[in-house]
Amino acid sequence: MKRKEKQPLLKQSHLPLILLGAVMALFGLASALVWSISSSQAMRGLITAGQLRTRIAAFESTGGLITGIAFFVLFLWCIVLSRHGARAAFIVGIFASFAPILTARAEPLLFDTLHLQLPAGSVVAGALATLVFALPMTIFFIILASSPRVPRNCRWVSLAAILIVLGTAFFPILVTVFAFLIKPGDPAVGRMMEVGSQVIKLRYILPGICLLLLAFFSQRFQARRVTGEASQTSTTQGVTQ
Amino acid sequence: MKAVSGKTSLHLILISVILASLLLGACAKATEEPASSETTPGGNSFSGLKLVAPAPYDPPIEMHSVINVDATVKFLDGTDIQNNVWTRAYAELLGIRLSYDWVVDSSMYNQKLSLSVNSGDIPDMFRVTADQFLLYQEAGLLADLTAAYENEASPQTRDIMTQDPIALKSAMVDGKLYGLPLTDASVAYASVLWVRQDWLDQLGLPAPVSMADFQEISRRFMQDDPDGNGVADTIGLCVSKSIWNSSYNLQGYFNGYHAYPTAWFERDGTVVYGSVQPEMRDALLALQKMYASGELDQEFGVKDVNAVNETVAQGKCGMEFGVWWNPYHPLSLSQQNNPTAFWSAFPIPSIDATPAKSQYNSAIGSYLVIRNGYEHPEALIRMANFWTDNLVGSQDEAVRNTLLGDLDAPDVVLYKYTPIQLWEPNAPIKAGNALREALAKHDPSGLDLEAQWRYRIIQAYFEQGVLEAWVEVATNGPNGASAILQQILDDRGLMNRFYGPPTPTMATKFPALQSMESEMIIKVIMGDPISKFDEFVEDWYRLGGTEITAEVNQWAVNNP
Repeated sequence: MKRKEKQPLLKQSHLPLILLGAVMALFGLASALVWSISSSQAMRGLITAGQLRTRIAAFESTGGLITGIAFFVLFLWCIVLSRHGARAAFIVGIFASFAPILTARAEPLLFDTLHLQLPAGSVVAGALATLVFALPMTIFFIILASSPRVPRNCRWVSLAAILIVLGTAFFPILVTVFAFLIKPGDPAVGRMMEVGSQVIKLRYILPGICLLLLAFFSQRFQARRVTGEASQTSTTQGVTQ
Repeated sequence: MKAVSGKTSLHLILISVILASLLLGACAKATEEPASSETTPGGNSFSGLKLVAPAPYDPPIEMHSVINVDATVKFLDGTDIQNNVWTRAYAELLGIRLSYDWVVDSSMYNQKLSLSVNSGDIPDMFRVTADQFLLYQEAGLLADLTAAYENEASPQTRDIMTQDPIALKSAMVDGKLYGLPLTDASVAYASVLWVRQDWLDQLGLPAPVSMADFQEISRRFMQDDPDGNGVADTIGLCVSKSIWNSSYNLQGYFNGYHAYPTAWFERDGTVVYGSVQPEMRDALLALQKMYASGELDQEFGVKDVNAVNETVAQGKCGMEFGVWWNPYHPLSLSQQNNPTAFWSAFPIPSIDATPAKSQYNSAIGSYLVIRNGYEHPEALIRMANFWTDNLVGSQDEAVRNTLLGDLDAPDVVLYKYTPIQLWEPNAPIKAGNALREALAKHDPSGLDLEAQWRYRIIQAYFEQGVLEAWVEVATNGPNGASAILQQILDDRGLMNRFYGPPTPTMATKFPALQSMESEMIIKVIMGDPISKFDEFVEDWYRLGGTEITAEVNQWAVNNP
């Protein structure tokens, strides 16, 4: 069987991937900061629960929309600059762009627009927004991890990213479901909730860092290949001469 | 070769990851399986538990008692009311062989006890109501527990008894203690104002401080379509026909006008009945106006609590007066159709510059007593100590699981097997304060197990946006309802001055007067002229109120 030649994730420049990773990580960081600062104030009684929700809703609504558009544009740019498996991955990944937009709008969409009546409604709405991000990103990383044309380091990073995306996305949801529906009052679940509230802050940060690592390894692969081709050319030229 | 090997391993790991992801749910479920505890409730030994108990009686003593057990009380396999974790604990740890001569449903208990006592078949230890307590004490049937309490009561038991200032006082006759009051949190029955905070925020309304604010909020909730459905179907204040209930009540509203219906309080050196005081008049007129403008449900006079629950579940109710734990029920119903519903508690707003006081009654309604002549009256105090020292003073998870029940069998409530239950009067306030302190410090380590759970729930609301956790935020979170209880206990509460058994005239005439009172209030609100109130006041005094007031004042002299 013919061995497929490894190729960098993007042709020419890795800038769109770097920007995508940076925007994702920064959005995650900003989101974590806004949540941390606001929740800390609310837990100390400095702001009311209503003020907390208003502040969070304003951030997620505006920040989410800007980030979602940025994701979309950058994924699109990556699609243009990529080939083969990587392009397929970016095509799937572009669907994750809807997640930040949906975060602030999942509840109105489900309950005001669709008029659904569900127990643990906010958990369901949160899970929906999470799913919209986690599902495309997981498939994105699976494609990269299983694609023979992708540089080996990038595949290892993608492999780790699958676990990270799944873990940061579903662990808090799983814990919340246990806490509110399956085993309310269980001290063990209580301890898991503590972890869950920290893990949730990493939901965008870690996948963003994974994208930056992908860009780094892909760029390094590209640089080495260029160097290798150059030396091979010079060797060939020397032999010819 | 090396490359091929790396590729193969990568594929293997990838497949493993996918399989692991698919099995995530199953794995998670497996880790949630409860670990078996060292000492199970059905076991015969308490040796694995850290329990506080005095040296048991040697030889063991016999104690005959009686108990009420409802049909809802469930037992673990192989146990019953005569042989359960509590009877075994008393026998093995205290040397008290407790047996029940009869067991009846709660509704039959007082009648059965009266028959039993009247026929001379008096149990060694039993529970009585306030009027039974007085009756049996006067008949010389009850043992003097003064010395036993002084000698045996543990610091934890004494602390609980002193948290409620009238607990021991109500069980004393001529300076002697004849019963152990079954304590609970009296202040927990004081009303607070519950407001749909999400509606307040949406309409940009400030928190209610005065009754004028309250009226404005009520008006806007009715007029401005806060549920956004385009239909004028929202109600400012939800009230049920049971106007003195723990939810949808009206005493909170009256308290805003410094009126205290159904409560006795001191005024100018005498004890007066709140429902016939002039402050009631203004409050009634204001309520009448609210009803006429549509801020109250037009059918509240015929709607019971369940019917109003439906209104809340439909998201049509904007405010209610109720107790601090109302978010657990019934206000949690409002999230059925509206996940963003959030209720906030506020102290009762005042009609003037004087802060309003929330009225409440003593929670002490029954006493544990010992038959006069029983050889070991101190056994009751030891049993009470066993409860307070191990369940109130300690937060040992294994002990609580063993004696109270655990999550593995949530419908088996073990403490219902014993009549000796002393709940801490200040428990809601202490728990709320501890929780708020931990939240401010972001450190739940000093909290007991239950409070730690509440901490996590509140944290889930603030840090993860789990809106279903609002119930805990509204009750025990920052600015939660339990913080208002502290204010009520400090200087914004009015405890019913009369906590004794019914006086002679009260026993015969008060039920009719109470019925007349509720009827008058509902009718005036729904449009009857305010002169009906004046007529009621006259009738109240004429039909027994004067005698009752005199008797209550005499009682107050004897019970300063």
